[in-house]
Amino acid sequence: MTVVSLVSALTRDELEARLYEAEETLRAIREGEIDAVVIKGGATEQVFTLEGGEQSYRTFMEAMDIGAAAFDREGQLIYANQALCTLLDRPADALSGQALLGLFDPVNQTTFRRLLTQALKERQSAEIHVRIGNADRSFLLTGTPIDFGIVSGVAITFTDISEREQSAAAKESERLARSILASANEAVIVCDRAGNVTHINAAAERICAEAPIGKSFEDAIELTFADATELMSGADIVAMAASGTPVQGLEAAVKTSSADVTDVLISAAPLIVSGDRTQGCVVTLINLSQRKAAERRQALLMGELDHRVKNTLAMVLAISARTASHVRTIEDFQKSFAGRIQALAATHTLLSNASWENLQIKDVLSVELAPYTTLSGGRITMEGLDIAVDSKTAVSLGLVFHELTTNAVKYGALSTRSGKLSVRRVGLAEDGALLIEWEERDGPLVTAPTKSGFGQTLISRSLGSGPGGGTKLEFLPTGVVCQISIPKYGHFHS
Amino acid sequence: MAEAPSEPVKLVLYVAGETPKSLAAIRNLEKICSEHLAGKYRVEVIDLKKQPQLAREHGIVAIPTLVKALPVPIRKIIGDLSDTQKVLVHLSVEE
Repeated sequence: MTVVSLVSALTRDELEARLYEAEETLRAIREGEIDAVVIKGGATEQVFTLEGGEQSYRTFMEAMDIGAAAFDREGQLIYANQALCTLLDRPADALSGQALLGLFDPVNQTTFRRLLTQALKERQSAEIHVRIGNADRSFLLTGTPIDFGIVSGVAITFTDISEREQSAAAKESERLARSILASANEAVIVCDRAGNVTHINAAAERICAEAPIGKSFEDAIELTFADATELMSGADIVAMAASGTPVQGLEAAVKTSSADVTDVLISAAPLIVSGDRTQGCVVTLINLSQRKAAERRQALLMGELDHRVKNTLAMVLAISARTASHVRTIEDFQKSFAGRIQALAATHTLLSNASWENLQIKDVLSVELAPYTTLSGGRITMEGLDIAVDSKTAVSLGLVFHELTTNAVKYGALSTRSGKLSVRRVGLAEDGALLIEWEERDGPLVTAPTKSGFGQTLISRSLGSGPGGGTKLEFLPTGVVCQISIPKYGHFHS
Repeated sequence: MAEAPSEPVKLVLYVAGETPKSLAAIRNLEKICSEHLAGKYRVEVIDLKKQPQLAREHGIVAIPTLVKALPVPIRKIIGDLSDTQKVLVHLSVEE
């Protein structure tokens, strides 16, 4: 049948329909709406795809280890390789059309769409994050333009960078942990399960042996536990903590090259990195050196105070007994005893104001003479008495000066307007003792008492305990002279 | 104009395996059917890659091609069906 006879055999409608079909086919080819044709070869038909090697990109993609997918210009999935299906944990048909996009949250959908659009023109990369099952995964997507014969689209590869990101996050986290460790004021030592030091901060370096990393805890730091038995050691604490039992607040002495740290408060806690498994322990050491030094000082002062109170009470008892044995009436006793106790109290006040240290002879004397110096009009002179004495000597001197002053006021130089009193440093004796002289002049004529009162006994006996110490009292007719000798060692500081 | 008692539309879509345009045509047809022909159509997809001889029945030359087999007259829509309005006109389904 010729073309003419074929055409003439068709009705007008059929002819129009065929013409329309031919025109439509041409239009569709021109506008790229078809990509395959059927060719009649004798009795059989064959289908040819217009992109030629249509299978080639698929074969290539399928051979790739990384996830890969092809999209058309509208962003519809044409093909996803098996690696991508595995990465996304979805079968290929669950990713078709827009389903792949549905796996992403809105933010990542926007990123993905932008990549699809940009990759139509040129190679582009973007990172997207997607939750697959219970895990958050990160992918680096690289898109490039691809031609499927007569149509074009985008090929995108998916590289799983989750591990890389997790590793970077882990590194960042470790860096943070290290800086926290380094910034801590307290010494921090981290040990593994075997009790070997793995991490250490700057504060701990100061109290540890050199190069402590890798050493056992006991070798790294030398501790002695004051309140514990010999059974307790640093290794025990580390072993306890590493086995899951925290240890809190044990005091220990530490041997270091630095004098700054001598005592520490040690605590240890199990180190749990993930899950319930203990990876080792974290030992913290708080520097107690200053506190312990203060405690020791306080204990010393308490002991000293106790000693002094006992001494003072003994002295009060002795004064009381002696005073009682030398007076006749209760009134006399009250007067003498009160005066002596007041002298003692005055010296104690001075001592306590000077924190029981560095009290000068001048101060002790001035307290006793205070009621008389203002009215003395230069009759009382003191020379070279700016000498510090210890507390024991100060108390003795206080009592001696009290007795001498009382005597001078009652019978001696201070009992008249003309009498003069001079207290001065004479010098040092051969044995190093300090000599002080109390000299009264121009007072009433002095006669030595017929019997020795307690005041005299006290004066004679005071300061007599140490080598070179003692007093010598003379009742010269011109006035009383008393040589006071203060033993050298530890009793005064010239 | 009163609508004729609805006779289901029978559509046959000829594709060639999974070429981009074949896939696009399937997607576009699914969309058109669900949006405009809900419950009024029957679709058959014929893969000419697997059965090329089936091209003969409707004289298919270009792929993809959609054929409205019923109701008559038979209509062919050539291309990936991306122009929804054109498809609806040819299927005589106008909104």
